[in-house]
Amino acid sequence: MSKQLVHIKGTKEGLVLRLDDQCAYAELVEELERKVSEGSIDGKVDVQLHLGNRYLSNAQQEELIAIVQSPGNMHVSKVHSDVITIEESNERVLTEQRETYVGIVRSGQIIKADGDIVVIGDVNPNGKVEAGGSIFVLGNLRGIAHAGANGEKESIIVASHFEPTHVLIDNLIEVMSNEKPFVKENSDQIFAYINRDGIISYERLQEVRKIRPLLSTVKGGS
Amino acid sequence: MGEAIVITSGKGGVGKTTTTANLGTALALQGKKVCLVDTDIGLRNLDLVLGLDNRIIYDLVDVVEGRCKIHQALVRDKRVDDKLFLLPAAQTTDKNAVTPEQMKSLVEELKREYDYILIDCPAGIEQGYKNAVAGADRAIVVTTPEISAVRDADRIIGLLEQESIEPPKLIINRIRKDLMKNGDALDINEITTHLSIDLLGIVIDSEDVISSSNKGEPIVMDPNSKASLGYRNIARRILGESVPLMSIEDHSKGMFKKLISIFSR
Repeated sequence: MSKQLVHIKGTKEGLVLRLDDQCAYAELVEELERKVSEGSIDGKVDVQLHLGNRYLSNAQQEELIAIVQSPGNMHVSKVHSDVITIEESNERVLTEQRETYVGIVRSGQIIKADGDIVVIGDVNPNGKVEAGGSIFVLGNLRGIAHAGANGEKESIIVASHFEPTHVLIDNLIEVMSNEKPFVKENSDQIFAYINRDGIISYERLQEVRKIRPLLSTVKGGS
Repeated sequence: MGEAIVITSGKGGVGKTTTTANLGTALALQGKKVCLVDTDIGLRNLDLVLGLDNRIIYDLVDVVEGRCKIHQALVRDKRVDDKLFLLPAAQTTDKNAVTPEQMKSLVEELKREYDYILIDCPAGIEQGYKNAVAGADRAIVVTTPEISAVRDADRIIGLLEQESIEPPKLIINRIRKDLMKNGDALDINEITTHLSIDLLGIVIDSEDVISSSNKGEPIVMDPNSKASLGYRNIARRILGESVPLMSIEDHSKGMFKKLISIFSR
């Protein structure tokens, strides 16, 4: 075999295994097994797998990870690939979309979005807004809001009048009937987010820029 | 071609049946041909409020199942000459005896002969509600200044907005001036901003309503009652007149002012 199918490179974060993306999968597995078994590393080391333009199914990825980790002293921290399926790409587009609902979310109604959602109107008691991303209510939020429903912990809930019965972000839930002096005193223009300690907390709208700088997508300005 | 209006609320006991009876009578007094349809099958009582219970021969289920012609089942109210008719609900079966499609064709048939068809909807959001809404062109939501009634009204408005009918209008029933003033009951503004639909009218709570219902005489027949005025105003708004919202304040106005208000109507 003239060409090397697995390149090993050392970096500060550990080893990078660059796997050839042109050869057959079976060949790659064979080569990887050989490379891994002959390596002699002292102590534990983190390994990143770079797949290049090769698409692997989840089962195949797991197989490769298992091979690398089999000697016991290597741990795969990340699998990096340059390609994704159309399905995954569509999913990603959906979760990055910002949807708009115009109207009132009334008692018993549920409005869902995969990404962020902007509600132009009120959310009445017993009404529910559920979003994969953040929730922005340009009206009175008096019902239930669930942001980051698919595990996006960076999501926030904003309302011009913030008086919900339940606030949910990711899998955290907070019942607002409990004493929340901050929310009670400043019910206008505040937002909810998960703070560094992993609990839901509330802050004035002006603080969003500091707390979630990545939310801002507009470039430039002076 | 007439217009079918469903009167609904979600919650029970807020005055759907009383409202239907009174609006129907008020519209008939204005010279319109009105047919009231009771869709509360199994728990009918629109006939009682109108005092027509002992004249029922056939009912809605009989018509739908073809045991009689529609005009045979209609009960005429003799007090308002040939203008007001009632299609009573059946008492011996339940709400599943009728389907929304059957209701729709029934209402279509009635619309050819009558100016207004008022459909009295049962409480709840199940089969009975679906039947009642099926044939309607417009909807009126009745609520009272109580948080439970407003919550249910919100739910029902949400459901009505899914239907292909005009946006519903609101009636706030049983307003107690004293409670509203003290802030013990929700005030009119609070309710309308919360529900954010157009207010069709308000009706002041009055003991006369209960006593007249028990006698089988709709309160609109009595021109001196404040509740009666509320219903008459609503009827005029349905007919397209613009009538200012009555004040809940001047409960104790003098005889002279009362006379003026009667003549100026």
